[in-house]
This record gives sequence, structure tokens and C-alpha cells, in this order.
Amino acid sequence: MATVALQNISKSFDDTQVLNNINLSIEDREFIVFVGPSGCGKTTLLRIIAGLEEASEGQIIIDGEDVSSAHPVDRGISMVFQSYALYPHLSVFENIAFPLRVAKVPEAELNQRVEHAANILQLTNRLQHKPGQLSGGQRQRVAIGRSIVRNPKVFLFDEPLSNLDAALRGDMRVELASLHQDLNATMIYVTHDQVEAMTMADKIVVINGGNVEQFGTPMELYHHPETQFVAGFIGQPNMNFISSTRTASTATNCSIKADGIGALTLPVSSCVGKEGDSLCLGIRPEDLSLTSSGQGFEMQVKVLERLGGSAIAYGTINSQVSGEQSFKAVLPGDVQVSPGQHIHLQVNPDKCHLFTSQGDAMHRLKAEV
Amino acid sequence: MIDKYSALEKLGLYTAIGIFLTFMLLPFVEMLLASLRPLTHLFRSPYQFWSDDMSLQAYSDIWVTVPKLPRYIFNSVFLASMTTLICMVFVVPAAYAYARFQFRGKAVSLALFLAVNMFAGAVLLIPLYKLLRGMGLLNTYWAMIIPGAAFLVPTGIYLLKSFLEKIPKELEEAAFVDGASRLYTLRRVILPLAVPGLIVVGVYSFIGAYAQQFLFAITFNQKRDYMPLPAGIFEFIGYQEVIWNQMMAASIIGILPVLFIFLFLQKFLMAGLTAGAVKS
Ligand SMILES: Nc1ncnc2c1ncn2[C@@H]1O[C@H](COP(=O)(O)OP(=O)(O)O)[C@@H](O)[C@H]1O
Ligand SMILES: [Mg+2]
Repeated sequence: MATVALQNISKSFDDTQVLNNINLSIEDREFIVFVGPSGCGKTTLLRIIAGLEEASEGQIIIDGEDVSSAHPVDRGISMVFQSYALYPHLSVFENIAFPLRVAKVPEAELNQRVEHAANILQLTNRLQHKPGQLSGGQRQRVAIGRSIVRNPKVFLFDEPLSNLDAALRGDMRVELASLHQDLNATMIYVTHDQVEAMTMADKIVVINGGNVEQFGTPMELYHHPETQFVAGFIGQPNMNFISSTRTASTATNCSIKADGIGALTLPVSSCVGKEGDSLCLGIRPEDLSLTSSGQGFEMQVKVLERLGGSAIAYGTINSQVSGEQSFKAVLPGDVQVSPGQHIHLQVNPDKCHLFTSQGDAMHRLKAEV
Repeated sequence: MIDKYSALEKLGLYTAIGIFLTFMLLPFVEMLLASLRPLTHLFRSPYQFWSDDMSLQAYSDIWVTVPKLPRYIFNSVFLASMTTLICMVFVVPAAYAYARFQFRGKAVSLALFLAVNMFAGAVLLIPLYKLLRGMGLLNTYWAMIIPGAAFLVPTGIYLLKSFLEKIPKELEEAAFVDGASRLYTLRRVILPLAVPGLIVVGVYSFIGAYAQQFLFAITFNQKRDYMPLPAGIFEFIGYQEVIWNQMMAASIIGILPVLFIFLFLQKFLMAGLTAGAVKS
């Protein structure tokens, strides 16, 4: 039961500004994911919310109360560290019980709460083991157990899955999502992996260079990225960007000439500017479809990744500017294409994205949501 | 690591180690042999490495020649233990502070601490004597314990600091987030994890205290009842002659405690002295 609000949070270490004026308002019981490239300030922001680091400026409000200088326990948060930070000399039981021992919880209640946490996390028959005897996934669960045993209002996770192998990561994503439903708590989750962000989040905060690029639901970010950075970051495989020039525009559309693709008219608003302005066209690889030769534009396939249900073609299209430019397309799974071959693709202008040379997106009028 | 030495190089290495060990250990061997020989045969020539008249006689005679010997042995162990204890009481919090906190003068004070170690204890004997006399501590156990601990604290801080620095900071942060105070975290998380480091510093202090007590004992103490073994051994030097074989026997008994501690804990010691030398 907790709302979290960040107001004008800035942070600098010595002379380097790491976070710039961050404002966020997180609803009760939301699963929020902070996503961004390595070094963008995600961990720092999480540590500021946790109370491990002090913001240079700004306030943190939890449940309407200013906790900017409160102790982590008084903020009602708990944190799972990237390295798990388990106490290697203590058993799983004592690791999970640690916050309760600090709080001097009576023995009977302590036992009951640790067993309850162990039950949720399927650690019941591991309670007497030391962390060193556990697998990566189990250690992860112990770290989560230590954070849920205190019944905090807000859970903070710093890249909790980054040390696990791919298969386990998939399982833990599902487990964490169901844990979120069971616990009914607000969760803030940091990752650099946009797949984790898309699959787990109620809302995603995309951070880049210490700034919030965009805050919204996964599908909002997918269909309406506000900046070229968000467009390139969200979506797998990531978006193709093609340099274009404006040829004409009205209030509801914009005609462009895209390098290597040709003339397109996109239904976007606020396409202000003059003819000849350089713009950037964005096409998601999954929004392309095959067509017969003589139509659409041509792509030379260099590598084909078959995923079964679909296949990803990596290759190049012709470019007036640079000779050729790399390009990706998602094709049907059983497509008859081999590397080196040319294919013909077409694109639906309704699905395209358009960015100014500053990287700001123009609003799409025919998007799905 | 792949063994990259040729046979010839290995031979050279082992020869060098052999020569080194011979120089190091020969005095001890001679000490042992001397303690086993009858006094009259000690100086016979030609030198005999092994002879038939060797016996453990000296080991039973020493208690008669120097009746206070048990007392001296007790004093030695007691002084070294107390020195170690006091040393640890100062080293643990200081090392923790140096490992974890940023404060003004951190580097300078640490360098000063180590600079103290540059002075051999002997250089400071006269100032120390004046100090202890001023405090009325001459001819007490304290006269041998306090200077002993003072000389061991700097290196102890340095050793333990490098140990504590290897304990991940996140463990402390996790405890902090869970509401633990610094002292609680120190007691329940840091110190249990630092046990190998504490053993290293403890052993280092004990051996150091054992070795240096002689100097402090003969300068700051004249009470026979407080003398440690190295000073008590003087009593084997009589007016007429030195009872060498018994003196050697008493010396061997004297180094036994250190030897045992060292043998049992050398695994920890080797790991500890190289701690922080390589990144794990
Ligand atoms: N304690 C610190 N002192 C100085 N710089 C720091 C400190 N912590 C983080 N930084 C810097 O802040 C930036 C953001 O770091 P971090 O929040 O860890 O990024 P992320 O978690 O997104 O990878 C990095 O450039 C990092 O070097
Ligand atoms: Mg990080």
C-alpha cells in the first residue's frame, strides 16, 4: 500500500551530474521498471529511493510523507541487490530472518514469518543450507525472501536477474510477476534489459543519461515512443532508422523521401517545418512484409535467424548517402530465403514512426492505441 | 598455472631454497642437539653431530636449576596473551574505520602509524622508560604489556584493514536497509566474515609480543616474579660456568607455544598476509 513520488531529484557525484531533475509519480501496487543503458543512473536513482544515497536536490514522498532524509526502515522499503548481498556465514533461515532479528521480533513469530516466506519462494527444504551451497536461482530467492519477510510497502530490485542464465531468467520473470500479484505491493525494478521491462512492467521509465526519456505503459512506449532513443531501445529486434527528407506536409500527414525506400506519406500530426528538412524514419522490423519483385524496396539478406514461428533477416538496403545501410526485417518462419539473396519488402505508412533531427517523435495518428 | 620451469631451473630453485633453509634452521638444530648432550661433552673436538650419550636429562634438570621456571613460562604466555588482547581491542575498530570511512587525515595518520614501525623498539627505550616511570608503571606487568601492544597496533591495523576491505560493501548496505546499526552489523556480519583476518592479526600480535617482551622485560622490570622466560633464561648463566645444555632446553620449551600456534594456523597466516595482493 504505497505511492511513491519523486520530485525534482538531482544527483551529482563531485562534479559529475548523474541524475537531472527527475519527476515521477508511482501509483499504489504498480510494478514499475526503470530501464536504460548501463551507466545511465538507474542504480543511483534506486539507491536514492532506498535511502542509501542522498539526493543532491529534490524530495522523495512515500504515501504522502516526505521521507527524503528518513532511514530505509522508516521509509518502508526493502531492497534486493544486484549481487544478492547474502551473508555467506549465515544459513538461509538466518539470512531471511535477519531483518526480523534486527527488529527483535519474538522467536515464535519470527519462525512463522520466515517459514511463510520460505514457502512462497519454495525454499522450505533449503533453510539450513548456507548460501554457498545454493544455485543462482535459489540465492536470488533467498535475497527476495529477506526482502519480503519484513512486509515492506515498496520493494526495490536492482537488476536481480542479471546474474542468472537465460532459461532461469525467463522462469524468474514469471515468478516475480506472480509474486507481485500475491504480495500486492509497489515494486520498483531496475534493469538494462528491455525484454524484462516489456514483459514485467505495468509502467516503464526509460532513463537515458540521467534524464527520464519517457514514462508510460509498455504498449504506449512501443506504439508512441516520444523520442528516437526510446523507439530504438524498446522493441526486439530494434527499430530501423532511415534518414529522410521532407517533401510536403499538412496538418495530418507528412510526405517524405526515405533513403533507399522511396516516397512515403505518413499520418502524423505536428509535422511543422519546411521542405528539404532532414527527418528520421523509423520502421519496426516486424512491421515489414514480403512482396513480389518490382514492388516495394529491395533488401539484401546477409544473415537469417530462424526462430521457428518467425525469422529475422539481417542485411542491407541501398542508400544514396552511404552506399548501403544495415536493415532488419521479421519474416514468416518458413520463408524461403538464403543468405546473399535479395528480397522485396513493403511497409505500411500507418505503422511508421517519424522523428525530427533533434530526435523528437511526431505524434502518430493511426497507431493501434 | 602451468609449470614453466625447466629441470635445470628447478634444480637451481631448490638449491637456493635449500641453502636458505639451512641457514635459517641450522641454529635450531644445533640448539636441539646441544640440549640433548651432557654439559661436559658440549665442547669436545672433533665436533660430533650425533653421539650415543645424548639424553633428555637437561629437560628434567632445568626445573631444579631454576625453580621459578614455571612462573617464567606462565609470565611469557600471559604477557603475550594480554598484549594480543589489548592490541586487538584497538586494532578492530581502527581497522574498520580505515577500511570503511572517509575522514580528513586518513592517509596521513595511516602513514604516521606505519612510520612508528620504522623505529626499532630499542631507539625508543629511554623515552619509554621515562614515560613509564612517570606513570608509575615500572616493575609491573603493564610495563611490558603496554609498549608491546603499542608497537604491534600499526601493522595490525594495516593487516586487518586490507582484510575488511575485501568484504563487499553491499553486505553492510543490505544490513543497513534492514535496519541494523553499525555496531550490530559489525558484530553479526563483518567480524564473523573477518575471522581469518582476526586470526592473522592475533597470531601476528602473539608472536610479535612473545619475541619483543625480552627487551621490555630487562629494561622496564626488575621483579623476578614478573620476568618472562627469555629474561629468566639468564639464570642459567652462573658465576663459574654457563649451563648451556639446560639453557637450550629451556629455550626450546620457550619457543614451543609460538611454534604450535604457527603450525596450526599457518594456513590462515599465508592466506592473510597476501590478502588484497591479487584481485579475486
Ligand atoms: N559513488 C559514486 N561515485 C562517483 N560516481 C558514481 C558513483 N556511483 C555511480 N557513479 C556514476 O554514476 C553513473 C550512473 O551510475 P549507475 O547509477 O550505477 O548506473 P546504472 O545502474 O544505470 O548502470 C555512472 O557514470 C557512475 O560512474
Ligand atoms: Mg546498475
